[in-house]
Amino acid sequence: MTIKGTTTTAARPLVEVGNVSKWFGPLMALNDISLEIGPGITGLIGPNGAGKTTLLKLLTGQSKPSLGNVQICGHDAWLSKAKAHVGYCPYGDATWDELSGRRLVQVTAGLHGFTGDEAKRRTEAVLETVGMVDRANRPVHTYSKGMRQRIKLGQALIHDPDLLVLDEPLNGVDPVGREELNELFQRLANAGKAVLISSHILNEMDELANHILFVCRGKLLASGSLETIREVLDDYPLKVRVSCGSPRQVAPQLMALESVKSVSVEPPEDLFLEVQNPNRFYAEFGEFATADDIQLSRLKATDTSAEAVFDYLMERAARPE
Amino acid sequence: MDSQPNISRFAACLQVFRLTLRRQFFSRQTIVIGVLLFLALAITIVWAVPKPWNPEPRTGEQLAEQILSPLFMGFLLPLISLGYASSTISGERTGQTLVYLLSTSIPRPQIYLSQFSAVLLLTMGITLGCLGTLCVTVGMDGVAVLREFAPVVTLATVCYVALFLLFSAWLRRATFLALAYALMIETLTANIPGVVKRITVSFYANSWLYDDSPLDLAPNANLPPYEPVSGGIAVAVLLAASIGFLALGMWLFSRKEYE
Repeated sequence: MTIKGTTTTAARPLVEVGNVSKWFGPLMALNDISLEIGPGITGLIGPNGAGKTTLLKLLTGQSKPSLGNVQICGHDAWLSKAKAHVGYCPYGDATWDELSGRRLVQVTAGLHGFTGDEAKRRTEAVLETVGMVDRANRPVHTYSKGMRQRIKLGQALIHDPDLLVLDEPLNGVDPVGREELNELFQRLANAGKAVLISSHILNEMDELANHILFVCRGKLLASGSLETIREVLDDYPLKVRVSCGSPRQVAPQLMALESVKSVSVEPPEDLFLEVQNPNRFYAEFGEFATADDIQLSRLKATDTSAEAVFDYLMERAARPE
Repeated sequence: MDSQPNISRFAACLQVFRLTLRRQFFSRQTIVIGVLLFLALAITIVWAVPKPWNPEPRTGEQLAEQILSPLFMGFLLPLISLGYASSTISGERTGQTLVYLLSTSIPRPQIYLSQFSAVLLLTMGITLGCLGTLCVTVGMDGVAVLREFAPVVTLATVCYVALFLLFSAWLRRATFLALAYALMIETLTANIPGVVKRITVSFYANSWLYDDSPLDLAPNANLPPYEPVSGGIAVAVLLAASIGFLALGMWLFSRKEYE
Protein backbone atom coordinates (compact mmCIF):
# COMPACT_ATOMS: atom_id res chain seq x y z
CA MET A 1 0.00 0.00 0.00
CA THR A 2 1.74 3.13 -1.17
CA ILE A 3 0.10 6.51 -0.99
CA LYS A 4 1.19 8.97 -3.61
CA GLY A 5 0.65 12.67 -3.24
CA THR A 6 1.49 15.33 -5.75
CA THR A 7 5.18 15.78 -6.42
CA THR A 8 7.28 18.84 -6.98
CA THR A 9 9.23 17.30 -9.83
CA ALA A 10 10.12 19.22 -12.94
CA ALA A 11 9.93 17.86 -16.50
CA ARG A 12 12.40 15.07 -15.76
CA PRO A 13 13.11 14.10 -12.17
CA LEU A 14 16.71 14.12 -11.03
CA VAL A 15 16.28 10.80 -9.29
CA GLU A 16 14.29 7.86 -10.58
CA VAL A 17 14.06 4.74 -8.47
CA GLY A 18 12.28 1.90 -10.25
CA ASN A 19 11.01 -1.18 -8.38
CA VAL A 20 14.10 -1.41 -6.23
CA SER A 21 14.59 -4.20 -3.75
CA LYS A 22 17.71 -4.81 -1.72
CA TRP A 23 18.63 -7.89 0.28
CA PHE A 24 21.45 -8.42 2.74
CA GLY A 25 21.49 -12.20 2.93
CA PRO A 26 18.05 -13.20 4.21
CA LEU A 27 17.23 -9.65 5.33
CA MET A 28 15.14 -7.58 2.95
CA ALA A 29 16.25 -4.01 3.55
CA LEU A 30 14.15 -2.47 0.75
CA ASN A 31 11.06 -3.99 -0.78
CA ASP A 32 9.98 -2.94 -4.27
CA ILE A 33 10.41 0.80 -3.88
CA SER A 34 9.65 3.21 -6.72
CA LEU A 35 9.95 6.95 -6.36
CA GLU A 36 11.05 10.12 -8.07
CA ILE A 37 12.80 13.13 -6.62
CA GLY A 38 12.91 16.54 -8.22
CA PRO A 39 14.14 19.98 -7.18
CA GLY A 40 13.18 21.13 -3.70
CA ILE A 41 13.59 19.63 -0.27
CA THR A 42 12.53 16.04 0.11
CA GLY A 43 12.39 14.51 3.56
CA LEU A 44 13.10 10.82 3.94
CA ILE A 45 11.39 9.80 7.11
CA GLY A 46 11.26 6.54 8.96
CA PRO A 47 12.21 4.90 12.23
CA ASN A 48 15.67 3.44 12.81
CA GLY A 49 16.13 0.34 10.66
CA ALA A 50 13.45 1.40 8.16
CA GLY A 51 15.85 1.26 5.22
CA LYS A 52 16.66 4.97 4.93
CA THR A 53 20.43 4.58 4.89
CA THR A 54 20.20 1.66 2.44
CA LEU A 55 18.15 3.84 0.11
CA LEU A 56 20.66 6.69 0.44
CA LYS A 57 23.52 4.33 -0.34
CA LEU A 58 21.73 3.22 -3.49
CA LEU A 59 21.17 6.83 -4.52
CA THR A 60 24.83 7.75 -3.95
CA GLY A 61 26.18 4.71 -5.77
CA GLN A 62 27.70 3.10 -2.69
CA SER A 63 25.50 0.10 -3.13
CA LYS A 64 23.73 -1.71 -5.97
CA PRO A 65 20.09 -2.79 -5.92
CA SER A 66 19.36 -6.52 -5.85
CA LEU A 67 16.42 -5.81 -8.17
CA GLY A 68 15.31 -2.71 -10.05
CA ASN A 69 17.31 0.34 -11.01
CA VAL A 70 18.35 3.71 -9.66
CA GLN A 71 18.97 6.55 -12.10
CA ILE A 72 20.52 9.93 -11.31
CA CYS A 73 20.10 12.48 -14.10
CA GLY A 74 19.57 9.59 -16.50
CA HIS A 75 22.68 7.64 -15.44
CA ASP A 76 22.90 4.47 -13.39
CA ALA A 77 23.69 5.64 -9.83
CA TRP A 78 26.60 3.18 -9.55
CA LEU A 79 28.46 4.84 -12.42
CA SER A 80 30.82 7.77 -12.03
CA LYS A 81 28.77 9.89 -14.46
CA ALA A 82 25.92 9.83 -11.95
CA LYS A 83 28.18 10.60 -8.99
CA ALA A 84 29.24 13.88 -10.59
CA HIS A 85 25.67 15.09 -9.95
CA VAL A 86 25.50 13.95 -6.32
CA GLY A 87 26.85 15.46 -3.11
CA TYR A 88 26.72 13.08 -0.17
CA CYS A 89 26.94 13.91 3.50
CA PRO A 90 27.02 10.53 5.24
CA TYR A 91 25.81 9.72 8.73
CA GLY A 92 28.35 9.85 11.54
CA ASP A 93 31.30 12.02 12.42
CA ALA A 94 34.05 10.24 10.55
CA THR A 95 36.21 12.21 8.18
CA TRP A 96 39.93 12.82 7.70
CA ASP A 97 40.35 14.23 11.17
CA GLU A 98 44.01 15.10 10.99
CA LEU A 99 43.40 17.79 8.35
CA SER A 100 42.19 21.29 9.06
CA GLY A 101 38.66 22.16 7.98
CA ARG A 102 39.96 24.29 5.10
CA ARG A 103 42.41 21.62 3.95
CA LEU A 104 39.72 18.95 4.18
CA VAL A 105 37.38 20.87 1.90
CA GLN A 106 40.25 21.68 -0.45
CA VAL A 107 41.24 18.00 -0.60
CA THR A 108 37.64 17.15 -1.42
CA ALA A 109 37.74 19.75 -4.19
CA GLY A 110 40.85 17.99 -5.49
CA LEU A 111 39.07 14.64 -5.37
CA HIS A 112 36.41 16.14 -7.62
CA GLY A 113 39.09 17.20 -10.06
CA PHE A 114 39.35 20.91 -9.25
CA THR A 115 42.84 22.33 -9.23
CA GLY A 116 44.71 25.49 -8.30
CA ASP A 117 42.74 28.70 -8.01
CA GLU A 118 39.44 27.04 -8.86
CA ALA A 119 39.83 24.61 -5.94
CA LYS A 120 40.74 27.49 -3.60
CA ARG A 121 37.87 29.65 -4.81
CA ARG A 122 35.37 26.84 -4.32
CA THR A 123 36.79 26.01 -0.90
CA GLU A 124 36.40 29.59 0.34
CA ALA A 125 32.92 29.88 -1.18
CA VAL A 126 31.77 26.67 0.46
CA LEU A 127 33.30 27.58 3.85
CA GLU A 128 31.43 30.87 3.64
CA THR A 129 28.20 29.05 2.73
CA VAL A 130 28.39 26.65 5.68
CA GLY A 131 29.56 29.36 8.07
CA MET A 132 32.97 27.89 8.86
CA VAL A 133 35.38 30.54 7.54
CA ASP A 134 36.55 31.67 10.97
CA ARG A 135 37.10 28.14 12.26
CA ALA A 136 38.48 26.56 9.09
CA ASN A 137 42.13 26.49 10.11
CA ARG A 138 41.54 24.30 13.15
CA PRO A 139 42.11 20.55 12.81
CA VAL A 140 38.85 18.68 12.32
CA HIS A 141 39.45 16.50 15.40
CA THR A 142 39.00 19.61 17.57
CA TYR A 143 35.56 20.35 16.10
CA SER A 144 32.25 19.92 17.90
CA LYS A 145 29.62 17.65 16.39
CA GLY A 146 27.79 20.57 14.86
CA MET A 147 30.97 21.96 13.29
CA ARG A 148 31.75 18.55 11.85
CA GLN A 149 28.29 18.45 10.28
CA ARG A 150 28.92 21.83 8.70
CA ILE A 151 32.32 20.89 7.31
CA LYS A 152 30.90 17.59 5.97
CA LEU A 153 28.18 19.60 4.32
CA GLY A 154 30.90 21.76 2.80
CA GLN A 155 32.53 18.61 1.39
CA ALA A 156 29.20 17.58 -0.13
CA LEU A 157 28.67 21.02 -1.70
CA ILE A 158 32.14 21.55 -3.16
CA HIS A 159 31.33 20.39 -6.69
CA ASP A 160 27.99 22.18 -6.81
CA PRO A 161 25.90 19.00 -7.19
CA ASP A 162 22.35 18.86 -8.54
CA LEU A 163 21.33 16.40 -5.85
CA LEU A 164 22.41 16.78 -2.25
CA VAL A 165 21.92 13.65 -0.14
CA LEU A 166 22.13 14.31 3.59
CA ASP A 167 21.93 11.53 6.16
CA GLU A 168 20.74 13.02 9.46
CA PRO A 169 22.49 16.36 8.79
CA LEU A 170 21.07 18.12 11.84
CA ASN A 171 22.29 15.46 14.23
CA GLY A 172 24.19 17.18 17.04
CA VAL A 173 23.66 20.67 15.68
CA ASP A 174 22.50 23.29 18.21
CA PRO A 175 19.16 25.11 17.65
CA VAL A 176 20.80 28.22 16.18
CA GLY A 177 22.86 26.05 13.87
CA ARG A 178 19.77 24.12 12.84
CA GLU A 179 18.06 27.33 11.91
CA GLU A 180 21.05 28.40 9.81
CA LEU A 181 21.39 25.04 8.10
CA ASN A 182 17.67 24.87 7.40
CA GLU A 183 17.94 28.28 5.75
CA LEU A 184 20.85 26.99 3.71
CA PHE A 185 18.86 23.94 2.57
CA GLN A 186 16.04 26.25 1.60
CA ARG A 187 18.41 28.47 -0.40
CA LEU A 188 19.80 25.44 -2.22
CA ALA A 189 16.28 24.24 -2.97
CA ASN A 190 15.32 27.67 -4.23
CA ALA A 191 18.34 27.55 -6.53
CA GLY A 192 16.85 24.49 -8.21
CA LYS A 193 18.78 21.79 -6.36
CA ALA A 194 17.22 18.60 -5.09
CA VAL A 195 17.96 18.23 -1.40
CA LEU A 196 17.17 14.84 0.11
CA ILE A 197 17.30 14.86 3.89
CA SER A 198 17.00 11.69 5.90
CA SER A 199 15.80 11.94 9.46
CA HIS A 200 14.14 9.87 12.14
CA ILE A 201 13.15 13.05 13.97
CA LEU A 202 9.80 13.59 12.32
CA ASN A 203 8.95 17.11 13.45
CA GLU A 204 12.23 18.32 11.90
CA MET A 205 10.65 17.86 8.50
CA ASP A 206 7.32 19.57 9.14
CA GLU A 207 8.36 22.99 7.97
CA LEU A 208 11.50 22.11 6.08
CA ALA A 209 10.46 19.58 3.47
CA ASN A 210 7.96 20.24 0.72
CA HIS A 211 7.93 16.60 -0.27
CA ILE A 212 8.10 13.66 2.09
CA LEU A 213 8.95 10.00 1.64
CA PHE A 214 7.73 7.82 4.50
CA VAL A 215 9.55 4.49 4.74
CA CYS A 216 9.10 1.70 7.21
CA ARG A 217 10.41 -1.87 7.25
CA GLY A 218 11.88 -1.42 3.80
CA LYS A 219 8.65 -0.22 2.22
CA LEU A 220 7.64 3.17 0.94
CA LEU A 221 4.45 3.90 2.85
CA ALA A 222 3.69 7.25 1.22
CA SER A 223 5.21 10.04 -0.81
CA GLY A 224 4.12 13.59 -1.52
CA SER A 225 3.54 16.78 0.44
CA LEU A 226 2.35 16.34 4.02
CA GLU A 227 -0.97 18.01 3.20
CA THR A 228 -1.74 15.77 0.27
CA ILE A 229 -0.77 12.62 2.12
CA ARG A 230 -2.92 13.71 5.05
CA GLU A 231 -5.84 14.35 2.72
CA VAL A 232 -5.55 10.90 1.23
CA LEU A 233 -5.81 9.37 4.70
CA ASP A 234 -9.60 9.80 4.61
CA ASP A 235 -10.22 7.03 7.12
CA TYR A 236 -8.61 9.25 9.75
CA PRO A 237 -10.73 12.40 10.26
CA LEU A 238 -8.69 15.58 10.42
CA LYS A 239 -8.52 16.99 13.95
CA VAL A 240 -8.96 20.76 14.14
CA ARG A 241 -8.80 23.07 17.12
CA VAL A 242 -10.93 26.23 16.95
CA SER A 243 -10.52 28.94 19.58
CA CYS A 244 -13.35 31.42 19.94
CA GLY A 245 -15.07 33.56 22.55
CA SER A 246 -18.20 31.46 23.07
CA PRO A 247 -17.48 27.81 22.25
CA ARG A 248 -20.72 26.42 23.69
CA GLN A 249 -22.78 28.60 21.35
CA VAL A 250 -20.66 27.91 18.31
CA ALA A 251 -20.48 24.11 18.80
CA PRO A 252 -24.00 23.25 17.56
CA GLN A 253 -23.60 25.53 14.56
CA LEU A 254 -20.38 23.83 13.59
CA MET A 255 -21.94 20.42 14.09
CA ALA A 256 -24.48 21.43 11.44
CA LEU A 257 -21.73 21.66 8.80
CA GLU A 258 -21.74 18.59 6.56
CA SER A 259 -18.00 18.06 6.71
CA VAL A 260 -17.85 18.07 10.51
CA LYS A 261 -18.09 14.64 12.07
CA SER A 262 -17.88 15.53 15.74
CA VAL A 263 -17.37 18.52 18.01
CA SER A 264 -16.17 18.59 21.60
CA VAL A 265 -15.84 21.63 23.81
CA GLU A 266 -12.83 22.29 25.95
CA PRO A 267 -13.42 25.34 28.15
CA PRO A 268 -12.74 28.15 28.38
CA GLU A 269 -12.54 28.83 24.63
CA ASP A 270 -11.48 25.77 22.62
CA LEU A 271 -13.44 23.47 20.36
CA PHE A 272 -12.08 20.25 18.96
CA LEU A 273 -13.53 19.13 15.64
CA GLU A 274 -13.18 15.93 13.69
CA VAL A 275 -13.46 16.73 10.01
CA GLN A 276 -14.16 14.24 7.26
CA ASN A 277 -13.26 16.22 4.15
CA PRO A 278 -10.69 18.93 4.92
CA ASN A 279 -11.10 20.91 1.68
CA ARG A 280 -14.84 21.01 2.00
CA PHE A 281 -14.56 21.88 5.68
CA TYR A 282 -12.31 24.86 5.06
CA ALA A 283 -14.75 26.15 2.41
CA GLU A 284 -17.77 25.66 4.69
CA PHE A 285 -15.98 27.09 7.68
CA GLY A 286 -14.96 30.20 5.76
CA GLU A 287 -18.56 30.91 4.84
CA PHE A 288 -19.75 30.14 8.35
CA ALA A 289 -17.22 32.40 10.03
CA THR A 290 -17.91 35.41 7.82
CA ALA A 291 -21.69 34.99 7.76
CA ASP A 292 -22.20 34.62 11.49
CA ASP A 293 -19.57 37.14 12.55
CA ILE A 294 -17.95 34.82 15.03
CA GLN A 295 -14.96 36.05 17.03
CA LEU A 296 -12.33 33.47 16.13
CA SER A 297 -8.87 33.68 17.62
CA ARG A 298 -7.36 30.48 16.21
CA LEU A 299 -7.97 27.67 13.74
CA LYS A 300 -5.37 24.92 13.67
CA ALA A 301 -5.25 21.39 12.37
CA THR A 302 -3.60 19.34 15.12
CA ASP A 303 -2.73 16.14 13.29
CA THR A 304 -1.11 17.27 10.07
CA SER A 305 2.42 17.08 11.43
CA ALA A 306 4.82 14.56 9.97
CA GLU A 307 4.71 12.65 13.24
CA ALA A 308 0.91 12.38 13.25
CA VAL A 309 0.75 11.43 9.58
CA PHE A 310 3.46 8.83 10.08
CA ASP A 311 1.57 7.31 13.03
CA TYR A 312 -1.55 7.02 10.88
CA LEU A 313 0.44 5.46 8.06
CA MET A 314 1.99 2.94 10.42
CA GLU A 315 -1.40 2.11 11.87
CA ARG A 316 -2.85 1.72 8.40
CA ALA A 317 0.04 -0.48 7.27
CA ALA A 318 -0.41 -2.74 10.28
CA ARG A 319 -4.10 -3.28 9.51
CA PRO A 320 -5.01 -6.49 7.62
CA GLU A 321 -5.85 -5.79 3.96
CA MET B 1 30.05 28.40 -7.96
CA ASP B 2 28.36 28.84 -11.28
CA SER B 3 31.35 29.33 -13.54
CA GLN B 4 32.47 26.68 -15.97
CA PRO B 5 34.31 24.15 -13.84
CA ASN B 6 37.85 23.19 -14.72
CA ILE B 7 37.72 19.49 -13.87
CA SER B 8 40.61 17.14 -14.44
CA ARG B 9 40.33 13.39 -13.88
CA PHE B 10 44.11 13.17 -13.64
CA ALA B 11 44.15 15.85 -10.93
CA ALA B 12 41.50 13.91 -9.01
CA CYS B 13 43.60 10.74 -9.17
CA LEU B 14 46.66 12.73 -8.13
CA GLN B 15 44.71 13.94 -5.11
CA VAL B 16 43.87 10.34 -4.16
CA PHE B 17 47.58 9.51 -4.57
CA ARG B 18 48.71 12.42 -2.37
CA LEU B 19 46.06 11.77 0.25
CA THR B 20 46.92 8.08 0.48
CA LEU B 21 50.64 8.81 0.63
CA ARG B 22 50.17 11.35 3.40
CA ARG B 23 47.75 9.25 5.44
CA GLN B 24 49.92 6.15 5.21
CA PHE B 25 53.15 7.95 6.01
CA PHE B 26 51.73 9.76 9.04
CA SER B 27 50.34 6.61 10.57
CA ARG B 28 51.04 4.10 13.34
CA GLN B 29 52.45 1.73 10.73
CA THR B 30 55.35 4.11 10.12
CA ILE B 31 56.20 4.11 13.83
CA VAL B 32 56.08 0.29 14.05
CA ILE B 33 58.11 -0.09 10.85
CA GLY B 34 60.57 2.55 12.07
CA VAL B 35 61.12 0.60 15.31
CA LEU B 36 61.62 -2.66 13.35
CA LEU B 37 64.09 -1.00 11.00
CA PHE B 38 65.98 0.50 13.90
CA LEU B 39 66.25 -2.94 15.53
CA ALA B 40 67.34 -4.51 12.24
CA LEU B 41 69.99 -1.84 11.80
CA ALA B 42 71.20 -2.27 15.39
CA ILE B 43 71.47 -6.06 14.92
CA THR B 44 73.37 -5.57 11.66
CA ILE B 45 75.81 -3.07 13.16
CA VAL B 46 76.50 -5.36 16.13
CA TRP B 47 76.93 -8.23 13.69
CA ALA B 48 79.29 -6.19 11.44
CA VAL B 49 81.60 -4.92 14.18
CA PRO B 50 84.83 -7.01 14.26
CA LYS B 51 84.96 -9.20 17.40
CA PRO B 52 88.10 -10.26 19.34
CA TRP B 53 87.38 -13.85 18.35
CA ASN B 54 86.65 -12.85 14.78
CA PRO B 55 88.68 -9.75 13.88
CA GLU B 56 88.16 -10.09 10.11
CA PRO B 57 85.75 -7.49 8.66
CA ARG B 58 82.46 -8.89 7.39
CA THR B 59 82.14 -9.46 3.65
CA GLY B 60 79.28 -8.62 1.35
CA GLU B 61 78.64 -12.30 0.84
CA GLN B 62 78.27 -12.82 4.59
CA LEU B 63 75.92 -9.86 4.77
CA ALA B 64 73.75 -11.31 2.02
CA GLU B 65 73.76 -14.78 3.50
CA GLN B 66 73.41 -14.01 7.20
CA ILE B 67 71.45 -10.76 7.31
CA LEU B 68 69.75 -9.83 4.05
CA SER B 69 68.33 -13.20 3.03
CA PRO B 70 66.87 -14.30 6.38
CA LEU B 71 66.17 -10.98 8.10
CA PHE B 72 65.44 -8.54 5.30
CA MET B 73 64.02 -10.68 2.50
CA GLY B 74 62.30 -13.24 4.74
CA PHE B 75 60.89 -10.94 7.39
CA LEU B 76 61.20 -7.18 6.94
CA LEU B 77 60.24 -6.92 3.28
CA PRO B 78 56.85 -8.66 3.58
CA LEU B 79 56.20 -6.90 6.89
CA ILE B 80 56.88 -3.40 5.56
CA SER B 81 54.75 -4.11 2.49
CA LEU B 82 51.83 -5.48 4.47
CA GLY B 83 52.08 -2.68 7.03
CA TYR B 84 51.16 -0.10 4.43
CA ALA B 85 49.29 -1.99 1.71
CA SER B 86 46.93 -4.03 3.87
CA SER B 87 45.76 -0.97 5.81
CA THR B 88 45.17 1.32 2.83
CA ILE B 89 41.59 0.49 1.84
CA SER B 90 40.62 -1.45 4.96
CA GLY B 91 41.86 1.45 7.09
CA GLU B 92 39.65 3.93 5.22
CA ARG B 93 36.84 1.41 5.55
CA THR B 94 37.13 0.90 9.31
CA GLY B 95 37.61 4.66 9.75
CA GLN B 96 34.38 5.18 7.71
CA THR B 97 36.15 7.57 5.36
CA LEU B 98 36.18 5.32 2.29
CA VAL B 99 32.75 6.73 1.44
CA TYR B 100 34.35 10.10 0.61
CA LEU B 101 36.51 8.49 -2.05
CA LEU B 102 33.70 6.34 -3.42
CA SER B 103 31.31 9.32 -3.66
CA THR B 104 33.55 11.13 -6.10
CA SER B 105 33.20 10.76 -9.83
CA ILE B 106 36.58 9.02 -10.13
CA PRO B 107 35.99 5.51 -11.49
CA ARG B 108 36.79 2.92 -8.83
CA PRO B 109 39.60 1.19 -10.76
CA GLN B 110 41.38 4.55 -11.00
CA ILE B 111 40.98 5.14 -7.26
CA TYR B 112 42.52 1.70 -6.69
CA LEU B 113 45.36 2.36 -9.09
CA SER B 114 46.11 5.73 -7.47
CA GLN B 115 46.19 4.14 -4.03
CA PHE B 116 48.39 1.34 -5.32
CA SER B 117 50.84 3.85 -6.77
CA ALA B 118 51.01 5.81 -3.52
CA VAL B 119 51.55 2.75 -1.33
CA LEU B 120 54.08 1.34 -3.78
CA LEU B 121 56.09 4.57 -3.77
CA LEU B 122 56.12 4.71 0.01
CA THR B 123 56.93 1.03 0.49
CA MET B 124 59.55 1.06 -2.23
CA GLY B 125 61.24 4.09 -0.71
CA ILE B 126 61.40 2.44 2.69
CA THR B 127 62.46 -1.03 1.52
CA LEU B 128 65.18 0.23 -0.82
CA GLY B 129 66.30 2.81 1.76
CA CYS B 130 66.50 0.10 4.40
CA LEU B 131 68.37 -2.23 2.03
CA GLY B 132 70.88 0.50 1.20
CA THR B 133 71.41 1.33 4.87
CA LEU B 134 72.00 -2.32 5.79
CA CYS B 135 74.40 -2.75 2.87
CA VAL B 136 76.63 0.18 3.84
CA THR B 137 77.31 -1.41 7.23
CA VAL B 138 79.95 -3.60 5.55
CA GLY B 139 81.51 -0.73 3.63
CA MET B 140 82.18 -0.73 -0.11
CA ASP B 141 81.63 -4.48 -0.26
CA GLY B 142 77.99 -3.74 0.40
CA VAL B 143 77.62 -1.79 -2.87
CA ALA B 144 77.95 -4.99 -4.91
CA VAL B 145 75.38 -6.66 -2.65
CA LEU B 146 73.04 -3.70 -3.07
CA ARG B 147 73.39 -3.98 -6.83
CA GLU B 148 72.41 -7.66 -6.66
CA PHE B 149 69.50 -7.22 -4.26
CA ALA B 150 67.96 -3.94 -5.47
CA PRO B 151 66.15 -5.28 -8.58
CA VAL B 152 64.90 -8.32 -6.68
CA VAL B 153 63.66 -6.20 -3.78
CA THR B 154 62.00 -3.80 -6.23
CA LEU B 155 60.01 -6.52 -8.00
CA ALA B 156 59.23 -8.41 -4.78
CA THR B 157 57.94 -5.16 -3.25
CA VAL B 158 55.64 -4.59 -6.25
CA CYS B 159 54.32 -8.12 -5.88
CA TYR B 160 53.79 -7.91 -2.11
CA VAL B 161 52.09 -4.51 -2.34
CA ALA B 162 49.76 -5.76 -5.08
CA LEU B 163 48.93 -8.85 -3.00
CA PHE B 164 48.34 -7.06 0.30
CA LEU B 165 46.34 -4.27 -1.34
CA LEU B 166 44.12 -7.01 -2.76
CA PHE B 167 43.61 -8.27 0.81
CA SER B 168 42.79 -4.71 1.81
CA ALA B 169 40.13 -4.35 -0.87
CA TRP B 170 38.68 -7.71 0.06
CA LEU B 171 38.54 -7.72 3.87
CA ARG B 172 37.76 -5.23 6.61
CA ARG B 173 40.52 -6.59 8.91
CA ALA B 174 43.00 -7.25 6.14
CA THR B 175 46.09 -6.66 8.27
CA PHE B 176 45.40 -9.78 10.38
CA LEU B 177 45.10 -12.00 7.33
CA ALA B 178 48.14 -10.38 5.74
CA LEU B 179 50.15 -10.91 8.92
CA ALA B 180 49.07 -14.55 9.12
CA TYR B 181 49.97 -14.95 5.44
CA ALA B 182 53.38 -13.32 5.86
CA LEU B 183 54.31 -15.35 8.93
CA MET B 184 52.75 -18.70 8.03
CA ILE B 185 53.06 -18.86 4.27
CA GLU B 186 55.95 -16.60 3.34
CA THR B 187 58.24 -17.29 6.29
CA LEU B 188 57.47 -20.93 7.12
CA THR B 189 56.30 -22.48 3.85
CA ALA B 190 59.06 -20.82 1.86
CA ASN B 191 61.67 -22.74 3.84
CA ILE B 192 60.22 -26.23 3.81
CA PRO B 193 61.19 -28.82 1.21
CA GLY B 194 58.79 -29.73 -1.57
CA VAL B 195 56.77 -27.78 -4.08
CA VAL B 196 54.43 -26.03 -1.63
CA LYS B 197 56.87 -23.13 -1.32
CA ARG B 198 56.26 -22.31 -4.97
CA ILE B 199 53.12 -20.43 -3.94
CA THR B 200 55.22 -17.87 -2.07
CA VAL B 201 56.63 -14.61 -3.39
CA SER B 202 59.86 -15.12 -1.45
CA PHE B 203 60.60 -18.39 -3.28
CA TYR B 204 60.72 -16.61 -6.65
CA ALA B 205 62.63 -13.66 -5.18
CA ASN B 206 65.22 -16.06 -3.74
CA SER B 207 65.34 -18.06 -6.97
CA TRP B 208 66.16 -14.89 -8.86
CA LEU B 209 68.89 -14.06 -6.36
CA TYR B 210 70.44 -17.53 -6.56
CA ASP B 211 70.49 -17.51 -10.34
CA ASP B 212 73.53 -15.98 -12.07
CA SER B 213 74.63 -14.08 -8.98
CA PRO B 214 78.35 -13.29 -8.63
CA LEU B 215 77.79 -13.75 -4.89
CA ASP B 216 77.60 -17.29 -3.61
CA LEU B 217 74.03 -17.14 -2.32
CA ALA B 218 72.95 -20.69 -3.06
CA PRO B 219 71.34 -22.45 -0.11
CA ASN B 220 73.42 -24.54 2.25
CA ALA B 221 74.18 -27.93 0.68
CA ASN B 222 73.51 -29.67 3.99
CA LEU B 223 69.91 -28.48 4.02
CA PRO B 224 67.13 -30.25 2.07
CA PRO B 225 67.23 -29.32 -1.63
CA TYR B 226 65.74 -25.87 -2.33
CA GLU B 227 65.22 -26.52 -6.05
CA PRO B 228 65.01 -22.91 -7.20
CA VAL B 229 63.57 -22.06 -10.60
CA SER B 230 65.67 -20.16 -13.12
CA GLY B 231 66.03 -16.38 -12.87
CA GLY B 232 63.99 -15.87 -16.03
CA ILE B 233 61.08 -17.92 -14.73
CA ALA B 234 61.27 -16.21 -11.35
CA VAL B 235 61.06 -12.75 -12.92
CA ALA B 236 58.22 -13.85 -15.19
CA VAL B 237 56.25 -15.30 -12.27
CA LEU B 238 56.81 -12.23 -10.08
CA LEU B 239 55.72 -9.93 -12.92
CA ALA B 240 52.69 -12.03 -13.79
CA ALA B 241 51.68 -12.34 -10.13
CA SER B 242 52.01 -8.57 -9.61
CA ILE B 243 49.87 -7.79 -12.64
CA GLY B 244 47.41 -10.53 -11.70
CA PHE B 245 47.02 -9.35 -8.09
CA LEU B 246 46.66 -5.74 -9.23
CA ALA B 247 44.05 -6.60 -11.85
CA LEU B 248 42.14 -8.80 -9.41
CA GLY B 249 42.22 -6.05 -6.79
CA MET B 250 40.92 -3.47 -9.28
CA TRP B 251 38.16 -5.82 -10.35
CA LEU B 252 37.15 -6.60 -6.78
CA PHE B 253 37.29 -2.95 -5.66
CA SER B 254 35.21 -1.79 -8.60
CA ARG B 255 32.43 -4.28 -7.80
CA LYS B 256 32.38 -4.57 -4.04
CA GLU B 257 29.75 -2.81 -1.96
CA TYR B 258 31.46 -1.42 1.12
CA GLU B 259 29.29 -0.93 4.19
